[in-house]
This record gives sequence, structure tokens and C-alpha cells, in this order.
Amino acid sequence: MSVIVIAIASESGVPIFSKKAGNNENIQFSTIASLHGINMFTKCHNLQMINTLVDNGTILWKEYCKSVTLIGIATGGLECDLELLLSCIHDVMVFCIGKKELENLKNLDQIKRDLRQCYPILDYLLESLDPNLVPRSTIVLDFIQSILCPQAQQLQQVLDNYAQSVTGRWACLTIHGHLVATSSDFCELDPRETRLLLLLAAAQDGAPLRDTLVYLQHMSPNVAFRAVTCKLLADVYVLVICGATPALSQIDELVLQVWEGYAQVIKEAKLVYPRNFPLSVNFDTALLGLLVINVSKRRCVFSRHLHSNQKSRAMSGVHRIDILRTFYVTTAKDLAPELKLAEGDEKGNSDKPIIYGAESQ
Amino acid sequence: MNNYKNKINYESPCDSDNDWTNSSDDSKYSDTESSVPEWDSDIGEDGELVYIKTKTHSEIKNDTKAPLLESCETFKLRSDFKRSSTRRSTKGRIFKALKNRKFKVKDNGNDKRKDLEDNNKFIIIQVSKNMIFSSEKNCQIEKLFGISLDTHADGKTLVVADFLPEAKAIYTPKVKSGFYLQKINGIDVTSYNINNVLPRVIEDVENPKLTFQVVSEGFNIDLEKLLKLKNAPDNSLTQLLKDSMCSALYMCGNESDYPSNDDKGVLYCFPRPFNQNFLYNTRGAYLTLNHLAPKSLGTSEPVISTVLHKNQLINITYAPNCNDLLLVAIPNDKIDVFASKRIINDIVKVLELLYGSLKTCFTKPNNVDKLDSLFSRIFVSLLFGSKNKDKIDHINATFEDILAARTVSLPLEVKIQVDDAITELEAADYREWTDDVDNFQRLYTVIGACLYYSGHLLTSHLQDEDLKEINAYLKLNGILNLGNDKDIERLVIWKEAVGVTPPSPFYVEECESCLDLLFDVGLNKYLLSWFSSNTQPQVETSPQYLTKHGRKIRDNTSTKQDYKSPTLKLRKSQPVMKRRHNSSDQINAGSTSENSINNYHSTSQHNLYAQWYNGPQKQYRHSSLDVSYSEDSGSLKSNSEISEDRIAGRRADREQKNRRESSGSDSDWEKQEGSRSSNIDVSDLRKSLLDELDHATVHRITAGEENVLFHFIQLESEKGVLIAPVRNIEAQANSPLYSHIVKTFRTACKKIHELLQHSIMFKKSHAPSNPINKILVAVKEYGMLFEAPAAILNQCGISKKNCEPFHFWVVGRVFSEPEPRELYLCYHESVPQDITEIAYLLSYLE
Repeated sequence: MSVIVIAIASESGVPIFSKKAGNNENIQFSTIASLHGINMFTKCHNLQMINTLVDNGTILWKEYCKSVTLIGIATGGLECDLELLLSCIHDVMVFCIGKKELENLKNLDQIKRDLRQCYPILDYLLESLDPNLVPRSTIVLDFIQSILCPQAQQLQQVLDNYAQSVTGRWACLTIHGHLVATSSDFCELDPRETRLLLLLAAAQDGAPLRDTLVYLQHMSPNVAFRAVTCKLLADVYVLVICGATPALSQIDELVLQVWEGYAQVIKEAKLVYPRNFPLSVNFDTALLGLLVINVSKRRCVFSRHLHSNQKSRAMSGVHRIDILRTFYVTTAKDLAPELKLAEGDEKGNSDKPIIYGAESQ
Repeated sequence: MNNYKNKINYESPCDSDNDWTNSSDDSKYSDTESSVPEWDSDIGEDGELVYIKTKTHSEIKNDTKAPLLESCETFKLRSDFKRSSTRRSTKGRIFKALKNRKFKVKDNGNDKRKDLEDNNKFIIIQVSKNMIFSSEKNCQIEKLFGISLDTHADGKTLVVADFLPEAKAIYTPKVKSGFYLQKINGIDVTSYNINNVLPRVIEDVENPKLTFQVVSEGFNIDLEKLLKLKNAPDNSLTQLLKDSMCSALYMCGNESDYPSNDDKGVLYCFPRPFNQNFLYNTRGAYLTLNHLAPKSLGTSEPVISTVLHKNQLINITYAPNCNDLLLVAIPNDKIDVFASKRIINDIVKVLELLYGSLKTCFTKPNNVDKLDSLFSRIFVSLLFGSKNKDKIDHINATFEDILAARTVSLPLEVKIQVDDAITELEAADYREWTDDVDNFQRLYTVIGACLYYSGHLLTSHLQDEDLKEINAYLKLNGILNLGNDKDIERLVIWKEAVGVTPPSPFYVEECESCLDLLFDVGLNKYLLSWFSSNTQPQVETSPQYLTKHGRKIRDNTSTKQDYKSPTLKLRKSQPVMKRRHNSSDQINAGSTSENSINNYHSTSQHNLYAQWYNGPQKQYRHSSLDVSYSEDSGSLKSNSEISEDRIAGRRADREQKNRRESSGSDSDWEKQEGSRSSNIDVSDLRKSLLDELDHATVHRITAGEENVLFHFIQLESEKGVLIAPVRNIEAQANSPLYSHIVKTFRTACKKIHELLQHSIMFKKSHAPSNPINKILVAVKEYGMLFEAPAAILNQCGISKKNCEPFHFWVVGRVFSEPEPRELYLCYHESVPQDITEIAYLLSYLE
């Protein structure tokens, strides 16, 4: 499996970055130029290359904001929606430097430097496609991975409290990159924005406290917010979006005040991972993995550890998640039109969850 | 009536050729030494032949769905020669002359049909008299009307070729190039009289009124004409293909290989002119990508690119060949990605079949016209091949048609008959054709043959790869669909793959006589009823009856009783072909199939060979056949050793039986040399065999009390064949719900097929070169449950109130041993099915 993503300034043809995941070689500059040349050339002839299929793979050109062209090359039987991946990567770019900057591309060198800060997120995103990197691996790119736990209610109150104390509105708690609980206003955010915030927290790499300037694509694409991520326990982060104040040192103290008493609750919630479903829900022993999607909220829960004491099972967790993901990408997605919503019209759909399961024979 | 008379005369073997040549109107035949086939004049300079003869109009009216070559008079007539004549014999000459006459008589019907077909939409444009357009060519028409005209391929009709820039505003968008100029001021104009009409128009005080005939897309395309085309296709067709974004391009990767080429490495491009062809203009992109992908990106070569051009999605498929690249572009709305990917392979197969390799195909000198007409046929059959069935979209790209040659599972008796006839053809035992065995040499060795019936492959004695190529050739040239639009009386195509030799009438006659034999046997009649019988296996074409409400309706009307009976009476509604008779007084015009055997009997009692028919014929078949066969089989090998002391009557009887049971036995033949015009041969026995088959056993392959099977496809991709219900099953069903189900089924099958390929490819190559998806190679079976929308149920009379949801399964499964075989099923959910068991039952259908 391998994925290559190249970003090029559409007009000038200057390469912005190129990222890859998998075991392929690094792509050469001349190749990037040729790939861009193909796109430019066809555009001159009023022809737009939509998609090119190769054996077990795809080559895709996509232009965003009329300024940046993303080229994606995916091969090797890894089933991933390349178009969706490119659009996610574009989201990340906007998230980091703002829409206006990306549209104008005035000072390309500056922008290239600015974009470096989103590299960890991009790398995380690409690596999550690899089923072998267990904790990071993701099934679906366009849904918010969550954990269902009974503590969510309680944690929501704490999050509301915390958000208030730092004069922010939106706060959430993540465990292993999965959304566990949110503040009450959090649903105002677009699901795509939420996903990016989760990625931000997940790509933090263990830093205890950090603030980042982020542009929320729908909420405020041109004015940056301040996203503060704080590590509470190992793999547990709390994220809040707030204004310029309070200072990071103050927030450090506030976090301690607000969260000190809830360490036990969080630890209990953490136990739900990697099952991701509360222990009160039982599953048939034949089930190997499960994916539940709430289409309207764009949230999903998946699990490959449905049964606590089944060490004897021959099939590895990686394999199970790979099956589930492959099934989702190659099959389920095409069958259920609800899953292919274009951005912007998610609202107004039924709350009916769609459940996918992998079952042993 | 004329035909009739000919036939009678023809049947008398004692006629001398002089009678014929003298009576023939065409003196061409009277003094030529050898007989000339009627297609002789159609042979191209290069020795290739495409000859098509359509049936007269009156015959067509009766049965619109008549299959190819149905009740073809010519075939019946010449069957007597089958084994007793060489083509240089005098009889061959008689036969030719006869055919020629018949052809002439029938020719008259063709023009009428044309008129009926024509589109009746007209557009009238008035051009001001004051306008004078500047014509570079100083052409009167251009000056007056501002348009330039072309002559249609028929040499008569005037076609709008182009508009002068100043006049464009007057005509567009109503009139397009390609329309016919029908009238000027109400006077019909053709290329013959246009020069006479023009002065009158100039004298006329009124402004000239031009009447154009609308030529709608696809409507004026005549596949038959295209097939016969030897030159480049006419402008209007090229324009049409250009507008619909079809294109083919072949370019070499290394220009220095072709120093004479001055088109920047492009060896072939269609449609032309080059600079108006979008594929030509953007070729650099595809060539670069084709080069770049394997070398710098580490992927395989590109398979297909989807591009957006002029608001149309176009699929461009790649067929790399060494350094060179063949590109074919087809619009996505007619042929989707799934189909395009497979069609390019078929195109390559056809080109390789015809020319040996892609390179020779496109570098062969003076080959452009031929390639043009080939590609226009391919595009036309892909885009407009379905003009008669506009209801069903994507008809040429249905799942079944793309993947392999479509076959049906015939009953064993029929299969034997068909195979037998084909084997006889292939054996080409020339000792039966000539006395001069020593000096006669085979011109060709038949390496295989296959038989199609109305688009379905009945049997193939070809190697798998050959069959795939032949099938691709027939499909892409639109030959398989030819019978849908018109009734073909005779079709001869002679193409030598790689090389050039003129057609040998000898082999053409052999093929025809093989068909002839099968027709004599009654195969066409049998198949006609068999194809509408829906028996092997039976599919439920009225899915609405599987609901509670539908069951009530059925019980009330009780029209479906047929389906419950284990055997089905085949309806032989076709008027029966008149049998051959030895003398005119025995013609029984009104005979029907049921009594034709008996008729034959009564007549044969009086004929020349009556002694061979002692007793009722049935006795041969039923009572004595088995016994006598075993008894005779010993003596069969050494017929000359038959002991003299046998009584004559018995011996004659035996010989007769011998002859019937083994028509090819040479010793047998020599014995009866003297009576070579004998018309009692194996076909008579066969004939009665198939006539008897008026019952078809209904096979059901699904479990449960009711038949819940809607559709099935069994694909053997290695062999290049698939079994499915007959093509017109949807038309037979005539139910919106059934059509919906089949449509859903086909869409789902495409998906399943793509997925199952992973497993098949993995099994095939133990060390896969491309990285594979570990999960997908394990997929063996894939099922989907669909629900029919309420709107469609309503159309079938099932109202919303009393209707439970209508669910049906589409399941696909691959069986990998011994060769990969894919089975796709579509059935109602009420009875769970075991797909392995169904596959088993299906494979054991006789």
C-alpha cells in the first residue's frame, strides 16, 4: 500500500509539499513537474482530467480555491477514497493557514514555511490509513470516531465548566484520538472542523500543553481561533477553543482546578477503549468487529474488541479492522447513498444509525 | 410465385444446365465456365467480402422478432447439393443462375422500406433574396443560400456540409450540418436536378424557401451499409461521431521509428481532421502519463482516464503496445467505466485478429480507410446499436454482453444435433465432394466453427482465445445486433486474418450448407419457440406474483397455470417452411409442423426411393433403431464384405439405415454413388427428431415451492462464455417490476464482478506483481438485499396499503476449481437459497 500526495501552486507550478505513506520511494521533482504539466496542458484544451485508474490504484488531480492543486496517487490494494483524502488534506491546509492565504498564495515561501506546522497532522492522517499502525488506524476519513461511554454525561458538565473558565465555548475530551465527550455547544462546529480538531489533539505527540492558531473552515475561515490542547493523562487530551486570553500559564492552572477531581471518571472512561462500546452492551460471540455510524451527526463508533476474553481467536485485530474498513470503503459506501453526502447538506437527515458488522462464519 | 416455379424446376435433377442459362436474364452466367456466387461482385480488391442481403419487406411484417436467417428460401433450395456436388459442377451453375433471379425479384422491396424508415421531421428556412453570400469557390448554391452541400453516399440526396460564416446565423441552431436538403420552393431537389432547379429559383420573385430534413442522431445510421463500406465513412457520420466525443488514436512512442510520418508520431487518428479531434489535441497528456506512471510513480500503466470536456464525461482507455499507445475515447453516458475497460480489450483483440498485431494494423500502408470504417462501426454499434430498444438504456453495455459470449443451455438432443452439424462442417471430408480424390487438395483446414442464434452463441468448436476474438469481432462490428433491426436473408463475411486471399465460394457454400442442414432439421423453428419458452432454467418473470397481494391477483385471473406444469408445450406458431419435395405434385402448401412428418411419409411412398421407406417412419426411430444400430455397427466398417447371400429386401433396408446413421461413412457413399441426387439423408431423420421436441422440460434451480429466481448469470471468463436467460427476457416479461429488478441486478453484478476479480487474479498468479489487497482476495461470495420502490410496485397493480416490502437478493459467488466460474443470482427473499446447490443444478442442466 502506498499513498502519495503532492501539493502544487496551480499557477506558478511551484511544489508546496509532497507527502507519502507506505513503502514507495520518494517522488522526484521532475515527476512532480510532469504531473502538474499534464494537468495544465489538458486545462489549456478545455479538458479536465477527473480520474485515472491504474491496476489496483488511482491517480487524481484536484484543484482547490483555484490556487492549489493536489495530486494524489494511491496504489497497492489499499482501499481508500483518494478524493476524500485530498479534500481532507485541503481542509488541513485551510485549518492551519486560513482560506485567504491559501487563495492568494502571495508569498509562497512564507506559506510553505507556515504549512510546515500542519505536517504532523498530515502525516498522522496518512499513517492512519495503514491498518498496521493499530492505535492510530482509522476506518473512515469523513466521520468523527467516538467512544460510547456512560461517563460522557458527567464529563460534559466538566467540559462546559472548563470552557467557561477559559472564556471559550467549544471544548471536547479525546481518548486515543476518539471523541468521548463534548461541551454542550460543541455541536455548533461543522463535523469536518471537529475532525480536524481531533487530529490536532492526536498529532500532539505527548506535549502537555500547547496552543495553536486554527482557522475553522466554516465558522471563520479567515480569522484564527486559538485551540488549546492539554494532556490530562496518557492518551487523554482536553481541547478548548478560545480567544487570545487567558495566557497559556493561566490555563495550565485552570486545567488543574477544573479537572483535578475527575481523574477517576476519566480513568473509568478510558477503560472502555479499545472496546469503544460500554460494557453494558453485549454482542454475539460471532461478531468480530462492528462499525456504527450516525449519519446526521457524522459520528461513528467502531470496535474490534467486542469480547473481553477471546485471546484464542486466530484473527488479529489488525486484520479485523482491515476487513471492516475494506468492506466499508468498497461496498457499504456505494450502497448507502446517505454516506456520500456532499459537504454542507448533512443536516436534515434521519438520526437512524447505520450499523456494519463483520461476522465470522 | 416466380420463386416457386424456380424451385420446382430446380428440384428436377434431370434438367440440363442449358435450360437454365438460356432462361436466365443475366447472360453473365451463360458462358462462364464456373458458377459465380451472388456475392462475387461484392468482393473487395483486397479479397475481403461482406455481403448482406436483407429480406423483403412483406416478410418482415409478420414476425418482428424473427431471428437471423429465419426461413431462408435460398438455403432450403440448395440443400440437395450439399454432398453431391462440387461447386464447379453444372448444378452449381444452375443454382447460381437461380439465385441470381431470385435476388432480382426481391430487390424491389428494398426501396419502399427505406421510405418508411425515414424521419419525417422537416425544417423550412427562408433565405432573403437580397442576400448574396461571398463564395470562394464561386458556387451558385453557396452564393444564394450560404451553405455548401455534399452528396450523400447514395449519390442522390444532398447533405448540408457547412455554412458560410455570414449565413450561419440564419440556419443555426435549427439546421445542422448533416441534414438533408429536401426541397427548394417546394420542388424536390437531388444532386441530379439541382442545377436545373437553381435558375428557376433565381428567376422566382419570392424569397427561396429551403426545406431540410432532420437527420436525428443514430436514426440515419445504417449498420448494414457500414459493414459493406469499403471507403471511408461519409462526412455526416464522421461529424456525428465527432460530436459524440468518440475517438481513436494510435501514436508511436519513438518517432524515429517512422521517419516518413510527419504527424508528430500520430500514426492513426479518427475522426479527422486532426486539429478538431480532442484526443489528438491532448494526446501529450496521455502519452506522458502512460510513460510516467510505471517509471516514476511505481504504478502500473494507466488503464482508463475519465475526463470532462465540453460538459461531457469521457472515458479514455489506454492500450499500450511496446512503445506505442492506442487510445480510445467513448462518452461516459453511453458506456460506463466498467464497460469501457473491457471494450478496449475487445478492440485490441479484434485488431490483432485482423492484422496480427497493433503495430502492423496501424502501419500497414493504405489501411486508413478500412480502419476508419472499422472504428466507425465500433463506435456506432456501441453508441447507437440499440436504436430499436430505446427503452432499455445501456443495452450494448449490459453486464452480460460485455463480459463474454452469451450462451444458453439447450436440451441435450438439440445440442447433439447442432454439434453434429458443426463437426461435419469442420471435418470437411472432401472425398464426398469430388471423385478425383487424389488430385484434390484442401485449400483450408477448418480450425473451428461456432454457431450463433439471434445473438446467442449456441455452440463453439473454437479454442477459447479464438472464440473470444471472434465474439469481439462480431459484437463490435454490430453483426450480432444486425438481426434486431432487419431480417437478414443472407450474410457472408470473408476476412482473412493477417494476409489476403479471395473468398473461396467452396467454403462459403460449405458453411451455408451446414446452416442449411440445421434449418432442415428444424432448428430455427425449435429455437424460436425455445427462446420464448423460458425453461432452462425457468426464471420468474412476474415478480409481482410473489407478494401476497399479487398472489391474490394471480389466483383470480389464474393465467399462470403454465408455470406449474413440469413440462411446457412449445408454441410453434411459425408457419412451417415448406418441405422439399421430389416432384411438383407433392407440394402440400398448407402443411403444419405437426403433420409434416406424416405428409412426408405419404409422399415419399411414391417417390423414386420409395423402397427405402418401407413401413412407417416411426418404426425406424422407436422400435427398430436401437437394435439395428448395434447390429449394423459391425458391418459398418466393412461394408464391402457384406455377404451376398443376404436377401435383397433386407439388405436395401439395412443400407438405408446405415446411411442414415452414419452419413459420413465413405464405403457407404461409394455404394450409392450412382444415386447422388438422393435427398434422403440424415437430415430427414434429424428433422423429425427436432420436430418431435415440442415439449420442453421446465427446470427450476431454486429451492422452495415457488420459483423465486428472477435472473442469473454464469460466467466462465476463461472460456469467454456465459449462460444467462435469453436476451429478450425482459420484453417477454413485460413488467416494470421485472425490468427494475433486472436493472438493479446488472448494476450490482458489475460491482460484485469487480470485487471477485481480486480473488480470481490472486489464484491465477501465485506471485502477484502488483501489490494486492489482502482482504479482497478472500472474498468468495457477495450478497446484497434490495427493496423495490413503492412506485414500481404500484405500476404492477400492487397498492401501498396491502403490500409488504418487496425484497430481493443479488448474490455473486466465485467457484475457483477447476477454472474460475462466477455465478450471479437474483431471487426473491422469501425462500433462502444455497448458491452452491444452485450452481450444481445449473451445471447439470442438459
